[in-house]
Amino acid sequence: MANSNHKSKNQDALRMFMGKYGIGVILFFMLIIISIMKPRFIYPSNVLNILTQISVNCLIAYGMCLAITTGGIDLSVGSQLALVSCLLGQFIVNMNMNVFLACILAALAAAFLGFVNGFLIAKFDMFPFVVTLATQLVIRSMAQIISDGKGLSMAMPEFKAIYSGTLFGIPLPIIYMIIISIVMYIVLHWTKFGRYVFAVGGNVHAAIASGVSVFWTKTMCYTISGLLAGLAGIIFSSKTGSAQSNIGVGYETDAVAACVLGGTSFAGGIATAPGVLLGAIIIGCIYNGMNFLNIGSYYQYMTKGIIIIFAVLLDMVINKKGN
Amino acid sequence: MMKKVIATLMTAAMAMSLVACGGGGSAEAPAQDAAPAQEAAADDAAPADDAAPADDAAADASAAGGDLNGDGKIIVGYISKNTVDVFHAQINGAAEEKLNALKDEGVIDDWTGILDGNTDAAKQCDLAQDCINYNCDYVIILPAESTASDPAVTSLSEAGIGVIVVNSKTDSTDSLALTYCGSDDVFAGELMGQYVQEQVPDGGVYVHCQGIIGNSAQQQRGEGIMNTVGADSNWTLAADVPCDWDPSKAVNAVDDYLAQYGDDLKAVICDNDDMSSAAQTECNAKGREDIVCIGVDGNQGPLQMVKDGALGATVLQDGAGQVLAGIDAVVKSVNGETVEKEYSIPFVLVTADNVDEYLK
Repeated sequence: MANSNHKSKNQDALRMFMGKYGIGVILFFMLIIISIMKPRFIYPSNVLNILTQISVNCLIAYGMCLAITTGGIDLSVGSQLALVSCLLGQFIVNMNMNVFLACILAALAAAFLGFVNGFLIAKFDMFPFVVTLATQLVIRSMAQIISDGKGLSMAMPEFKAIYSGTLFGIPLPIIYMIIISIVMYIVLHWTKFGRYVFAVGGNVHAAIASGVSVFWTKTMCYTISGLLAGLAGIIFSSKTGSAQSNIGVGYETDAVAACVLGGTSFAGGIATAPGVLLGAIIIGCIYNGMNFLNIGSYYQYMTKGIIIIFAVLLDMVINKKGN
Repeated sequence: MMKKVIATLMTAAMAMSLVACGGGGSAEAPAQDAAPAQEAAADDAAPADDAAPADDAAADASAAGGDLNGDGKIIVGYISKNTVDVFHAQINGAAEEKLNALKDEGVIDDWTGILDGNTDAAKQCDLAQDCINYNCDYVIILPAESTASDPAVTSLSEAGIGVIVVNSKTDSTDSLALTYCGSDDVFAGELMGQYVQEQVPDGGVYVHCQGIIGNSAQQQRGEGIMNTVGADSNWTLAADVPCDWDPSKAVNAVDDYLAQYGDDLKAVICDNDDMSSAAQTECNAKGREDIVCIGVDGNQGPLQMVKDGALGATVLQDGAGQVLAGIDAVVKSVNGETVEKEYSIPFVLVTADNVDEYLK
């Protein structure tokens, strides 16, 4: 990809477009089917509800998307949620810190742990799966140590407002999601760093040959993933109004699912920011829509699994075209 | 090439619609039933309003008392804690049967089905929003967490929905919920502690196998244990072992502390009885039938072991009783009767003497 001539560049663009477009079709059909069966599903209040609900997953998924695009994965994000939650509890409840300052410090702590992930992966060329599987345990344990295994109530209005506040009638989590989406779009598609990410994931040798610093690119990706998980953790803690060490278990799964649905390729080097957003929306619609349709939870997991397999199949078919 | 891609997309889309319909297969039946039932109920409701004095009192009360949001239908939401634990599967099963029966009798118009809270407070908060958008009048919720699930209760209550909290309280349950139906977990911990004290009067070393750290059941049962054996100078705590409600981890803990304390180990107290029954099986296999293992829940496996004499006792939490009390509260509210703020369903110590009452 780095030795891209004009033709392959066009193909890349087409592939990316199809990745986005394909998932859009699935989303469109889903919305139509569910809305016909339960018109209430498409009411504005429920649409806002779905978008608010997906904000946490969407932020995590953007970070996950960076990790996957460089050919890795970040399994530590669920634990990051717990750590940030416990840190916030200590800062705000036990140390009476200013809410804004506490959020910044907690997010920075998550970013630092993301940096550690990236450093281990990039410096020692360790498998991202193994590194983040291990740090997942370390971070979860840190959360338990900090909180002493106990939940703290953070029901103070100024902290709760992070999740439940609105701007022009739109819930704040949606606003955060829009801002992060725009930033991620610019970072991935308009900046040099974004091109490096695709280069490292697409063909690492070519990237090195063209002078891209693989170390910094990978480390930055995991740092950003940590930071985004940290921001998601703040929203999560505000949503539940509590600081707890047992939250966020399994959240990496939904984030990976959103990425894969959004056309992020596990082969590396292929992703789009809008695709991830669409993927997250689809996950949200599956959860919400299936509940509206009275479909039992056992079938929900099956449906989610089948949709992911179809999305990956689609991804492979499109990739094959490119080769 | 474009054609092929489009063909793929169409296939995916069709597959998707198949999935959407196919996935509904099992649940389709209630969903389809719901439509005529709702229409029938709506038809009923209109004349009931006009001819209130002439109609029977129950129909009148249902229109006046149960339809909290005034849309002409009484819809009940059900937010489970999870759908995989044996204990919660029993509760959900009892609730499903009862709510379906109420729907057939026409007491309620519809219910949401078992919504899966996935033992995740944030998921439960999302489901609460779903219930509000589903126009529920009452929502039964089994909180995953005392603090973190509380926004679900507050948002439902703010939306004017009657909230019935079952099994464990959230922070604002006392002030906001219509009623609470549950049992006192501290008392369950104390029952376990007292049983161990009675069985081994001389005391010794005990191990405490914990549930997932941070769960309110884990914390409160632990508190009850500390109130009894924990405060007894005859007893020494070997360790609080975090076992995540997982029987295999409890077995590992038994092995570890048997190796360390040998004959001094006299009791294994577990936060649930999946763990205690596994721990007892391990002790028995090692020839240490004298070790007293006890836990909470009253799942069928442990009860069978009590009957077979392999396990001394277990503490039964009447989960089905709790949720049925909650559903009764809905019916009372619909009928305009007074609903108590709290219904307490006691824990029961089950031994060989009374196991037959509870073993199905």
